[in-house]
Amino acid sequence: MAASMKSVLAENVREKVSSSKILVVGAGGIGCELLKNLVLTGFVDIETIDLDTIDVSNLNRQFLFRKEHVGKSKAQVAKESALRFNPDAKIIAYHDSVMSTDYGIEFFQKFDVVMNALDNRAARNHVNRMCLAADRPLIESGTAGYLGQVTVIKKGVTECYECIPKPRQKTFPGCTIRNTPSEPIHCVVWAKHLFNQLFGEEDPDQDVSPDTADPELTAEAGQTALESEAKENVTGGIERKSTKSWAQDIDYNPEKLFHKMFRDDIKYLLSMSALWKKRRPPIPLDWNDLPNTVDGVEVQDTIRDQTQWSIQQCADVFAKSLNNLKQDLAKQGDDGMLVWDKDDDAAMDFVASAANIRAHIFGIAVKTRFDIKSMAGNIIPAIATTNAIIAGLIVMEGLKILSGNLEQCKAVYLNRQPNPRKKLLVPCALDKPNPKCYVCAPKHEVNVIINTKKMTVKQLEEKVLKVGLGMVAPDVIIDGRGTILISSEEGETEENNDKLLSDFGIQNMTILQCDDFLQNYNLNVIVVHRDKLEDDQEYVIVGDVSELQAKIEAETNDKTTEENTNGASNEPGPSNIEIEEDDLMIIDNEEIEQITYSKKRKIDDDIEGTPTAKKMRLSSDNVKNDDDDAVIIE
Amino acid sequence: MAAIGKSKAGLDKNNKYDRQLRLWGDHGQTALETSRVCLINASATGTEILKNLILPGIGSFTVVDGHKVQGEDVGNNFFLTKDSIGQSRAKFATEYLSELNEDVSGDFMEEHPESLLESNSDFFSQFTIVVATNLCERTLLKLGKCLWEKNIPLLICRCYGFIGYMRLVVREHRVIESHPDNAHEDLRLDRPFKGLVQYIDSIDLNTMNKKDHSHTPWLIVLYKYLQEWKEKHAGELPKVYREKNQLKDIIREGIRRNEEGVLEDEENFDEAIKAVNTALNPTKISSQIQELFNDDECTNLHSESSNFWILVRALKEFVENEGNGALPLRGTIPDMTADSERYIQLQNVYHEQADSDISIISNKVHDLLVNIGRGGNITDQEIKTFCKNAAFLRLVRCRSLEQEYSEDSDKLKDLSHHIDDEEPDDVIFYVLLRAIDSFYDKYNCFPGWYTDQVESDVIKLKTCLSKLMHDWGLNCMIKDDYIHEMCRYGASELHTMSAFIGGAAAQEVIKIITHQFIPFNNTYIYNAMKQTSVTIEL
Repeated sequence: MAASMKSVLAENVREKVSSSKILVVGAGGIGCELLKNLVLTGFVDIETIDLDTIDVSNLNRQFLFRKEHVGKSKAQVAKESALRFNPDAKIIAYHDSVMSTDYGIEFFQKFDVVMNALDNRAARNHVNRMCLAADRPLIESGTAGYLGQVTVIKKGVTECYECIPKPRQKTFPGCTIRNTPSEPIHCVVWAKHLFNQLFGEEDPDQDVSPDTADPELTAEAGQTALESEAKENVTGGIERKSTKSWAQDIDYNPEKLFHKMFRDDIKYLLSMSALWKKRRPPIPLDWNDLPNTVDGVEVQDTIRDQTQWSIQQCADVFAKSLNNLKQDLAKQGDDGMLVWDKDDDAAMDFVASAANIRAHIFGIAVKTRFDIKSMAGNIIPAIATTNAIIAGLIVMEGLKILSGNLEQCKAVYLNRQPNPRKKLLVPCALDKPNPKCYVCAPKHEVNVIINTKKMTVKQLEEKVLKVGLGMVAPDVIIDGRGTILISSEEGETEENNDKLLSDFGIQNMTILQCDDFLQNYNLNVIVVHRDKLEDDQEYVIVGDVSELQAKIEAETNDKTTEENTNGASNEPGPSNIEIEEDDLMIIDNEEIEQITYSKKRKIDDDIEGTPTAKKMRLSSDNVKNDDDDAVIIE
Repeated sequence: MAAIGKSKAGLDKNNKYDRQLRLWGDHGQTALETSRVCLINASATGTEILKNLILPGIGSFTVVDGHKVQGEDVGNNFFLTKDSIGQSRAKFATEYLSELNEDVSGDFMEEHPESLLESNSDFFSQFTIVVATNLCERTLLKLGKCLWEKNIPLLICRCYGFIGYMRLVVREHRVIESHPDNAHEDLRLDRPFKGLVQYIDSIDLNTMNKKDHSHTPWLIVLYKYLQEWKEKHAGELPKVYREKNQLKDIIREGIRRNEEGVLEDEENFDEAIKAVNTALNPTKISSQIQELFNDDECTNLHSESSNFWILVRALKEFVENEGNGALPLRGTIPDMTADSERYIQLQNVYHEQADSDISIISNKVHDLLVNIGRGGNITDQEIKTFCKNAAFLRLVRCRSLEQEYSEDSDKLKDLSHHIDDEEPDDVIFYVLLRAIDSFYDKYNCFPGWYTDQVESDVIKLKTCLSKLMHDWGLNCMIKDDYIHEMCRYGASELHTMSAFIGGAAAQEVIKIITHQFIPFNNTYIYNAMKQTSVTIEL
């Protein structure tokens, strides 16, 4: 025990510190700092778990790691480095996912306090549920650039991580990506999908070819296009073959690939003339005749990353990266595949060049590699200083919990600069649990709007239950009938996978009893059937029945107010659950040490400390939202 | 930074620092990599600060510390180990800290700052900034005076029990890139420049085909309908809510209809309507910039004037002449629904005007340099960055320690507003820390340092506090609880406190080094019991 602490911490707290067992979930930016702080505060019994390995881009802040550790387990190296400096500490490290079935309720019950130092929402949801199930206090935290926050979650006493829905992650309808991009991000998402189609795992949701099922096309137009396809065979006759095996057959020939993606497919899109009545039509490109000028962009930075490439340069980078990726893929053996990584130069070059070429075709502004990296990797800036501050705050909250002063715990938000009231830190009282929360309220119930005639059982499991509702291994029974729809035991219900929900008689107001054994969590999903969902979403989760009622009324009564209704329902609020992720998930969570703040933050700064006074939420949304909290200086 | 991307080292650096380059850019990183930081005393707080500066890659650091490592250091300092006990704290900490980043060079000086200040005060001239922890009042004031004269920024940091304290002492800190959180675009729709008028006049919305109509940048749409509005209102802009709504209605009427008379979906018009609220702010010079123009440093340039003041003077002359009361055009436009051809044309119209403004200012800068006979150039890049940020320039002038410690300081008298209350704010801890410093000065140890003397120390501390408040002319009470609490701390430095201040202080140092973002002015107090903090000028 640190000698200098003796007088500051009361004796009972010091005893608690030396006898408590702490779990640190995540050994990244906050995790490294936290491990150090715990050890030097006198904690001797610590376990840490992290699935990640160390990357070069971690070294600017994750101080327990060095260059020679790149590629090794974060948890393991963090433990070793911390022990090298402080051999007295006892740290157990797991190089594993905290969502694995190996870490059940008994595992969580071993600990006195669980401290999250995570970077993604799925794991946060899961640990939240595990701590509720195990009835252990959880300290949740996140940083994004200069911003950070710490909050305490205790079953039945405070709000849980899922009491207030997080702002939805931005997603785009498939047809926007495949047919009618209008913003740079659409092209970036397309380019990442192309990467996966060529080198990664096949995913039908990531198709990059023209989409003939675009709702904008009348049946006729689609038909015409299909016919012309049959005649001209412009898509290269690859319909019955995967993009990947076709690319392998042509040995990833850059010219052929280029012509398929950026000439023939574009010509095909042009044949869907309905799409271009009101839009600027795309212009197919020819490999041998590419523009070599950069228009309208100032070239001032000398760094390759931040120079705007011409389309000719893009094509050169495209060819070169294809060649490199081809070799990387070959090294993986016969059934090998590549996983896209923003920090892998060839993979990043490929996406940057392909996105820009597509953007040019559609008359969309081209971007630098540096900017595209931000968009494609959903990069959240991260620095040592913010993590240090937040990890310091986490331990302070931990000490309060251990001293039995949970009621003194605060949710603390770190501002970029002192706010108008000269506060850099904004502490807020912890809110009470949301009685309608479908995770921590006594009765777990949620409404899900879906089209039962279109959604398959597999889609229900993967998209609604796992992504939307954060379950890990759900079992699902149809209420009142006892039919087992989904079983978490492998193979038991596989034959159901491709059947439609309506095939099982699931219809409007059918209740599905969903149970996740690992999370010790059960939930009644009330199915709300719609033939057509807004914005072509696959599903919408609505927490509160009264809100659903209001929604239905608004929709049916007055079509013209639709826009307002939607606008209002986007405001984060306790009774409102928006979908977070739908069919096209473009955001890679892995980089996020982080948070975002919902727009309510501005108000909150003025009413600091009152129970309603905080609504910044932990979420893994885009960092751009930072600007919303916008409190100026001086 | 060696960022030409060709060499392996350059690429590695780009990757290593990728996440922070997105906050302060390559030029910020370059400033960081050429900086020299001095740390006085390798305390837990001191090494935490350095850690957070070495990781993002400062150029070099020097630890000045005459202490030997003691048992309690090992207990709260991550960078000292048991086997270092009895050895030089400066040397040991430097060795371990150096391991954090191979691109940063570390050095140490095994000497007490007191003696260094006497024997070789020029030693400090080499640094970009000095960070001091755990210095007694007397040494601190000497150091403060020395650095103030040399015009070197000083950041004082302290963790005392559950209280964190920072004081920034910088004579004049100039910020060109202040990164405002929500800046308005600089579009000049209220006073369009010639190039913009010419360009928009060449466009006729009425004769366009449907596609072009719905892909005309909203800026053009808004401008067109704004002219209509102005014609009807004696050339005035819509100012109040009602007038703005009228303009919105006029724009809405411009949306085309299809054969059946139903409104077409024209996103650019929607954007134009939205922009009525934000894009019509009158172009004006903020009071902060006006203050810069009136500053002595601006009006009386001399042969030693810094680049910043020469630039401000050139800016002032521009505003008063060619600019007709406006700053140089920023030259950027926001993203909008548009075909790329016209978007780029519009972008170029703004670029060209901005470039022309920059070149006028550039000429002024060069004339000024000649007139005042100052050597050294100001680069085009610097002028450009300055012009683009002209609306957001900031100046921070801290008071010196001498001013703060002078008994007739008005700021000290103002303290009563903070502490004379049932629920005093965190500024009370400033007063208590000052009382502790006079305790130390008198008894040569901290109150509560020896656990068996806590009770008698409480009385002594109370006396110190009363004397201090009397000297400052403060007539208010401080509750005994506070005094007991401060004695209980016994000057201990909790690691988790050091971690917090380590992060916050390093952040301020980075602001000073990169001249980006605005540092606090000048005292910061953190109360870990309540998780609150406050800044105050003293």
